This record gives sequence, structure tokens and C-alpha cells, in this order.
Amino acid sequence: MDNIIRKYLIMTLFKYGYIFQVQMILRERFCHQRLPEKPVGMESQHKHLLELLRRTAVHGESNSVLIVGPRGSGKTMLLNCVLRELLEVKDVNKNVLPVHLNGLLQTDDRIALKEITRQLNLENVVGDKVFGSFAENLAFLLEALKKGDRSSSRPVLFILDEFDLFAHHKNQTLLYNLLDVSQSAQAPVAVIGLTCRLDVLELLEKRVKSRFSHRQIHLLSSLSFIQYLDNVRSQLSLPQDFPDTKFYDEWNDSIKTLCEDQLVVDVLQSHYNSSKDFRSLHLLLMLALSRVSASKPAIKPTDLLEASRVCMVDSKANILHGLSILELCLIIAMKHLNDIYEGEPFNFQMVHNEFKKFLQRKSHSIHNFDKPVVIKAFEHLQQLELIKSMDSSTAKIQKEYQLMKLLLDHSQIMEALQKYPQCPTDVKQWAMSAFG
Amino acid sequence: MVRYFTRLRVRRIYKWGGRPYIFDRKLKSYGFEYLNMSVEGQEAVTTVTPGQYILIEGNDDEYPFVAKLLKLFGDESHKQKKALVQWFLRLSEVPQNKKLLLGRSPHPQEIFYYLGRACDDEINAESILGTVHVRQDNSPPGTKDTLYVKLSWDTKAFNVLDPVLMQDTSASTPPKPALPLFTPCASPTATPVSRGPVHHALPTPDPTVMRRAGSVSDTRATMSAGKRSTLEAESIHSASKLSASKILSAKRRGSAADTPGVRKKLQLSIGASECLYLRMKELRNSVCFPCFLIQVTPSTPRCATPCIPSRTVPARQPGNILEEARARLHVSSVPESLPCREQEFQDIYNFVESKVMDGTGGCMYISGVPGTGKTATIHEVIRCLQHASDMDEIPTFRFIEINGMKMTDPHQAYVQILQKLTDQKVTADHAAALLEKRFSNPAPKKETTVLLVDELDLLWTRKQNVMYNLFDWPTRRHARLVVLTIANTMDLPERIMINRVASRLGLTRMSFQPYSFKQLQQIITSRLNKVKAFEEDALQLVSRKVAALSGDARRCLDICRRATEICEHSASHPSSAGLVKMSHVMEALDEMFSSSYITAIRCASLQEQLFLRAVIAEFRRLGLEEATFQQVFVQHRTLSRVEGLQPISLSEGLAVCQRLGACRLLLLEASRLDMLQRVRLNVSQDDVLYALKPVRD
Repeated sequence: MDNIIRKYLIMTLFKYGYIFQVQMILRERFCHQRLPEKPVGMESQHKHLLELLRRTAVHGESNSVLIVGPRGSGKTMLLNCVLRELLEVKDVNKNVLPVHLNGLLQTDDRIALKEITRQLNLENVVGDKVFGSFAENLAFLLEALKKGDRSSSRPVLFILDEFDLFAHHKNQTLLYNLLDVSQSAQAPVAVIGLTCRLDVLELLEKRVKSRFSHRQIHLLSSLSFIQYLDNVRSQLSLPQDFPDTKFYDEWNDSIKTLCEDQLVVDVLQSHYNSSKDFRSLHLLLMLALSRVSASKPAIKPTDLLEASRVCMVDSKANILHGLSILELCLIIAMKHLNDIYEGEPFNFQMVHNEFKKFLQRKSHSIHNFDKPVVIKAFEHLQQLELIKSMDSSTAKIQKEYQLMKLLLDHSQIMEALQKYPQCPTDVKQWAMSAFG
Repeated sequence: MVRYFTRLRVRRIYKWGGRPYIFDRKLKSYGFEYLNMSVEGQEAVTTVTPGQYILIEGNDDEYPFVAKLLKLFGDESHKQKKALVQWFLRLSEVPQNKKLLLGRSPHPQEIFYYLGRACDDEINAESILGTVHVRQDNSPPGTKDTLYVKLSWDTKAFNVLDPVLMQDTSASTPPKPALPLFTPCASPTATPVSRGPVHHALPTPDPTVMRRAGSVSDTRATMSAGKRSTLEAESIHSASKLSASKILSAKRRGSAADTPGVRKKLQLSIGASECLYLRMKELRNSVCFPCFLIQVTPSTPRCATPCIPSRTVPARQPGNILEEARARLHVSSVPESLPCREQEFQDIYNFVESKVMDGTGGCMYISGVPGTGKTATIHEVIRCLQHASDMDEIPTFRFIEINGMKMTDPHQAYVQILQKLTDQKVTADHAAALLEKRFSNPAPKKETTVLLVDELDLLWTRKQNVMYNLFDWPTRRHARLVVLTIANTMDLPERIMINRVASRLGLTRMSFQPYSFKQLQQIITSRLNKVKAFEEDALQLVSRKVAALSGDARRCLDICRRATEICEHSASHPSSAGLVKMSHVMEALDEMFSSSYITAIRCASLQEQLFLRAVIAEFRRLGLEEATFQQVFVQHRTLSRVEGLQPISLSEGLAVCQRLGACRLLLLEASRLDMLQRVRLNVSQDDVLYALKPVRD
């Protein structure tokens, strides 16, 4: 069915040119809608996990394992690849029951238990609802798992995404029970935890920890830049089964030359230096891809440069560009206060005084503002979270005397001033001067 | 809950009747001819004479104990009233695992002549509730309030009852009971399997009761009309929550009320059930016998059987030696024997055995770090004792196990204990009351109960009443309860228990020491049981390493299992894999015990590594182990200039910092503090420097 739709889409898109097809294929890739054929750079981990789950599925051996790796390192992708491969095996196909849980969704054991019973389709589920109290559900599930045995009941794969969050549940009841089942002669289960915390084992209570098999699969990419570059090329290249061979050759050649361009290599190098994970790379490539159109049917190095500029932009500097001159002046006054008092917090009165001093001594272009107007500007800065109130009990102290801190770096302010359109020179000079 | 408390409201008055005769000179007890009993505030008097069958107050309100009265006697002061009885059992009182011996489903009115010796046949006469008809018969009696006996039960098997035992009473007809007798057995809930599906809602009414109730329904016709609507509303409301079958039945009832044609027929059933409801309400008000309540709250449908669907293809059996070894080394596989815990085994065995033999109660506290075989040893003990009791060496006993981690709330312990004892499903408060009664009354307890409480520390509550009760019950005279408790910490009684709880726990304590390397080695060898898969040195390495770290047998087995996998993978062909060698074990140990921080730092991106160095540089500058992001970022910028890298923007710097925080290489404050959040290292500075060194070279 899926294929038919895809074919139909391809046929209709044919009229609009291949560019749309290219964009569709690549977007699917970058948005993680399709699993890659083979996980890159994690062959041994893939083998280990597949072997482990295969033993659970085929031999009914209970296991528990943690997949640990930083965010975006491909934990879920690896697991999904393994599951896909596992379900292709004939014996396994109808014999496993995967249960997916996520620590961000199942925030306590009550919800998690309901979700498990729902996904397992146990008999206390009618329609979409699970009956019974929390205690009854727990007893029911444990009873169900206890009744099973190694050779005759279907293996259950418990997949716990954000495993560390489950460790914060009360008494770690769910984890204890799942791991206990995995260590006793009951229905075969495999408990697979996915987490990005390296210290996850320290979160487990000692009796829970003892029941965990201490298998950890670490996904730490030791990708070199050359491999990274290769990967970019393969990510951007079109697949073999592209309908038009001429366009296919053209596109792939253009990608090859693109990856050899010095500008592109520099951009990618700085990205690689910042983070090695593919998620941020996909974001960059996605932005570059969106600049491709029928009139410009290839990715140019400048596209990538522009995309990287968008990716790496400093969000606060952007906010600064949109401020009024008065607000900018207040920021500069705060900067001077920071210089004078070495980062101690300030209040509105101090900033206002500093600003008035500037007006009296140096200013030629800026008129005096009424105090309410200045207060308004100050509050606006607070709303933008460029400054942050230090004391939590805001009710007691008058607005003018609340202690604040500036959430901007000096370099950010100076950079913003350079780029600010038609900034008065006296304001610039004031900002540059050592002391207000 | 209501059911239980209603009983307390009735006060029955007992009076001796007839002339006393001296029964035992030594004990100065007097025998009596009969006993008059009446309910306070009512005229009616029931007379009980020896030879009659009586109902005795028990654990279960709906099913009181049945016995034959043999003798009535009291002491000189006539204060204490005692009775000597011959017990009869209902099937529900037969232990769970023996019920199958009957080989058929029992009739609800069937009782069994009790031939065991385990229970006291002397009872308090004031626990007598009334009389009951019992016949010895091969077929169930027609009338519903008569019980019948066919078989006897001697704690081992059901036998055909010898008619001689029943003879003397078959002739004498008991006097007509004047007390409004409502045998609980005839109550509508007493369907053969009392745990049948509830949502078939209204029970079929009993014809005799209906006839009796007929007059009542006439006089209350007006009232019942109003009642019916509320009742119906209630059931429709609950139907929305219950299953489809209930909705159907509610609909049927609704349509029946509309169409006059079918009305008559169906109204009969509604009316009847309602009459029954009223009748029972009446009865409850007068005698306060228990009465069933319509269940409205949706709960787990009782018919649901918890089970995991079975697989289509049976699991494959291990094929080669390594797979065989792996299956044997899995923690879940039950070993033939438990080596290295002989002493502990013997102590626990002696303790439980003596208590079971004497019919007394007691507590024992067992502590030890996880994975030292506490639960396994107790299970082994119970297995052996069960075997002994099957061989008739010791009296039968019942084993119940609860686990503090396997319940959602400490008070659920009561519910689970009661459910395992009697198969009843009640609320926690009610269960506590029932258990309290069960363990404090001299009811015919057939056997000792051995209760294993795992993860005791989880049963802690602020008032500690769960723990208090668990340890108080064994001290009761009639409880016959042995409580074995397990927890991780040795000084748990001193640390968390208040004095009266700790005192009741007593001083029978035992602690399981972590396994030494020799023991661990022995455990693995005995598990492998001549399957030659490991080199001797490899085994020794594993056990030494684990013994030095924790002495946790689970860990040891897991490492061995992992080593077999590594061995299998390293071989070119799965079948050609040889013994598990030292190198395989080393690799497994490395995988499980080595910290991953250093690898993580080495695999981090350049900016992340730079940030870590900046953190250390800032710490050194400040002389503190803590800095704000702002301070670190200044260092970071300087460092990147030194390294010849383009300095990154603040937003990007924060992202780098957050990534390190997510891995817990850094500990961060809440991210809403932005650049003021404080940063600490979660790894030692030396580790970071060590990890970064080769990268710089």
C-alpha cells in the first residue's frame, strides 16, 4: 500500500521535475522517518544487541541491557534497526511482544503499569481502558508474568526509553519487578533501557542494581573527520533506484564536488568540532536542502555556509538587534555597573543613575526620558530575559530596588552594537569607554 | 466493609439450661444439658443441645464454621462457657493445593467430616451462632438450608465417611430453631464457584426465600417502585464502566419496562430480585447476617485470568556446550542444591520445623547484602519441609510469600496475605480486620502458616502498624504463625523500628555474609554440574574479582554468562568455540566494571573536550570546585584562541555545556539560570586530564 502511494506520488511529481523527488527522499532521510539500511559505525554493538534479543526471542532466555550514549548518538535508531531485523526472522515474527515505554510519558509506575497491560493486551483490558486500581494492576501483571515459563510463553521485550527517569519513581517498584522477572524462572522478558546518562547505575537502588545484569552497550562515536565527511556525502547522495539515471549522475557528481570544496569542508569541520552527532548535521543539511529549487537544481557551497550561519547564530545577539536605543542604553549602563562592581547584582535605581550621568555628561543625540518610560523599558528587558531578578520573593521589594543580574556577555553587547543599524556614535563611544 | 461491622452490633446472650453435673473433678468443670441463646432485644430463644450441628463464628462472615456439638461445660463460677465439638470443613477451608484431590467441583452445601488432629476441639461456647441441619447423604439435599456430608478429610485425602461416626445424631431430630435462621449457605452468593463473574449482576433468587418474601413485596410495592429506579440508574451508570454484557442487560431491562407484552415475565425477575434485596435488608436489620452488596465500582473483571499469550513455536533448547552452560548459569535456573549455605539452611530449617511441630509461632529476621541467597535458601527450606510434611514427618503447614517491593503500598500486605490464605479479595482495612480476627481467635486452624516477608524495609509506615501487626500475630496463643523476614541491612530493627515493634521481632536473627571467592567458585561449579565450558583459572578470576567487589552471586553468574557469549563470538564458527579462557573473562569483566567516563571524554567532540579543559582551568584559577558558566566560557574562549579555533558563540557554548550535563560528565544547575548556572565536574580532574592527554599529543 505504502509503495503504491509512493509510486503514485512519484508519478505525479514527475511533472514538476526531479527536484521535488530529491527533496522528498532526502527530507525523509533527515527527518528520521525511515531507518537506514544499516547503522553506521556501530557494528559490534549492533551484533551484540541483536544476538541478545535473538536469544530471548528464540531460546526464551531472560536478559536485561542498557544502551548508553549521548543524545543524538543513535540509540533508538540502533534498537529499531535491531527490532526490524529481529522481526524478519521467521520463528520470531509472531512470538515476541514488544512493549514501548518512555520515561517522559510514563511519569509514574501507575501510568506505566496501565500502559504495559494495555500494550500486552492482557485480559483486564476492555477496549482501550484498563480496569482496576494500581495495586490490582500490579498484582495482575506480576501474576501473569509468573504464570508464564521459559519454553511456552511469548517473550516480552520491555523497551524503556529515558531509563534514568524510571529510576526516580517511588521505590523503583517497576524496575525492581521487571528486573526480578528477568532473573527468575518466569515468563521470558528482555528489559532494554535507553539512556544518555553515564552514571545511570548509580541511580539504581542496591537490590535493583543487583538484579540488573550489568550489561551496558555504549554508543560513543569515535568518528574521524574523514568518516564524517564520507557520511555527509552518502547522506546527500541519491539512492541507486532513482528513476532517472541522468539526473542521478548529475546530482551525485555535484554532491561529490561540493564535498571537496574548501569552504564546505571548513563549515563541516566547525560543525564536527562542535558536535559529532548526526542530528545536528541533519538539521544543517535540511536547511541547505531547502534552498534548492527548480531554477537552482544543486546545493552550492554558499547554501551550506548560509545554513551553518543560521544554525550557529547567537540567539541573544539577535534579540539585541531588535531593542530600542533606550533599552540598549540601559544595557550599556548595566555593563558598566558590572565592570565597576565586578558582577555584583544591581537594581533599577543604579542603572537609572548611570544612564542619567551619561545623559548629562556625554550625550548629544539622546534626550532625557521620563522615569516611567525608563521603568517600562527596564521591564521589557526583564521580560526578554536579558536580565534576571536575583531574589525570589518579588512581592516584598519595590520594583526599583529589586536586585538584577545581566544575562549577557560583554562580547555579545559589543558585537550587537557594531551591527546595530544607525547606532548613535556617542552611545557607541560610551559603551567602549572603560568606566561610565 | 459494612459486612464486617454489622456483626459487632448484635449482642447475643448465652445462658446455661438444665442441671449442671460434675464433669471433671480435678478441673472443677461442670457439664450442662443445653445452652439457651438469644439476641439482645428479641424474645426468641434458641436452644442448643449436645448432638446438634452448630455454626461457629469464624474468619468468614458468609461461611461460619460448622461442627457437631459433643459436650457443653463450664467452670465453677459459670463464667466461662466451653464446648467440645467435632469439626466439619467446607471446601474453602481445605488448603489451596489439596483442593484438586476432590476431583470434582464441590456442591456449595457440601461439608467434610474432619479427621485431623491439628485443631483444637474445645471452643468458647459464646462463639456459637446457631444450629444447622446436616445430613449424611450421597446426593445434595433439596432444601437449601441443609448441609450434607459425604466424605471425610484427614489433611491428606478425601475418604468416604464411615456411617458409624455420624450415627448417633441421624436419629435425633433437632428442635425447630426459633432464631430466625438464615443459613449463610443459602444466601444467593453461594454459587458453586463463589468467584464467578460478578457482572452477571443479579443472582437467580432462591424460590423458598421468594415465597417467604412474597408478602413483603406486596406491602412494599410503592416503596420498591421508587427504589427500583435508583437501582436501575445505578446499574446503568456502572454499566458504562463495565463490560458490554452489562450494558446489554441494562438495555434489556429498560426495554422490558417499556413494552407491556414482555413486561410481566421480566418484571417477575426484577421484582423477585428486588424483593430479595428488601428481604435481605430486613434480615440484615434484624439479625444482621451478612448480605451481598451489588458491586458498582469497576475493578478487574474477576473472570480475567492473568496470563501472557503462549508462543506458536516452542522455545529452542540449547544446542551446544556453551549454550548449555549459559542456560545453567542464568540466575533464574533452579540449581539442584544450594552449596555454601548449609549452616544457614540448617538454622532456618530447625527454626521453622520446631515451630511447625509445636504448633507455636515466632519471628525471624534475616539480613544480608543483595545476591547472597537469602530468598533462595528460604525457598529451599520450605521445599524440604513440604517434602517432609508430605512424608508425614511433620504436620502440614501453609507457606505464603509476600514481597514489599511487589506491592504499591505497605497496607497492601494485608490484602495479599488474606488473598493467599483464603482467596478473598477485600480492601486493606477489611483485610487487616479479618486477619486480626483469624490470628487471635481460637478458630479451628488446621495448620501452621509460614509467612515469608521479603524486602521488609518497604513495609515501613509512619506508625509502623503493618510491621507491628506482622510481628504481633505470631505471639498470639492461637495464631500458629511463623514469620520469616528478609531485608538488606543488618541493623534494620535498630534503625527504623520503634521499640514495641523491634521487641516483638525478637532476637532470632541471622545474617548472610557475602560469598567468599571459594564459595562463588563452588557455586558456579555446582551449577555447571560437569558441563565443561570454563577453564579452571578463568573461573577463579571471576570469583576472586566478584568476591573482592561485592560477593554478589548474581553478578558472578552474569559475568560468566557474558564470557561464554564473548567466547562464542570470538570463535570463527559457533560450533568450533572451545573453552572459555582467561581473555574472554577479562573482556567481560572489563565491560561490566570499567567506568565509561574516560571513553566518553575521549569520544567527545573537540569543543566539548575544550570546555572540560576550560572548566578545570577555571577551577584552578578560583581554587574552588565550582564555577558559573559565564566564568568557564571566558576560559573556553581563551583556550580556543590558543588552539587556533574559531571561538564559538555563547548559545553554542551553552549547548555544548548542556550536552556534557546530559551525559553527567558535568553537574549543572537548572538551565533557566542561563549563563549564571553553576558547573561542577562529575569526574575527578585527574581522570579528565588523563583522558585528554593522548588527544593533545
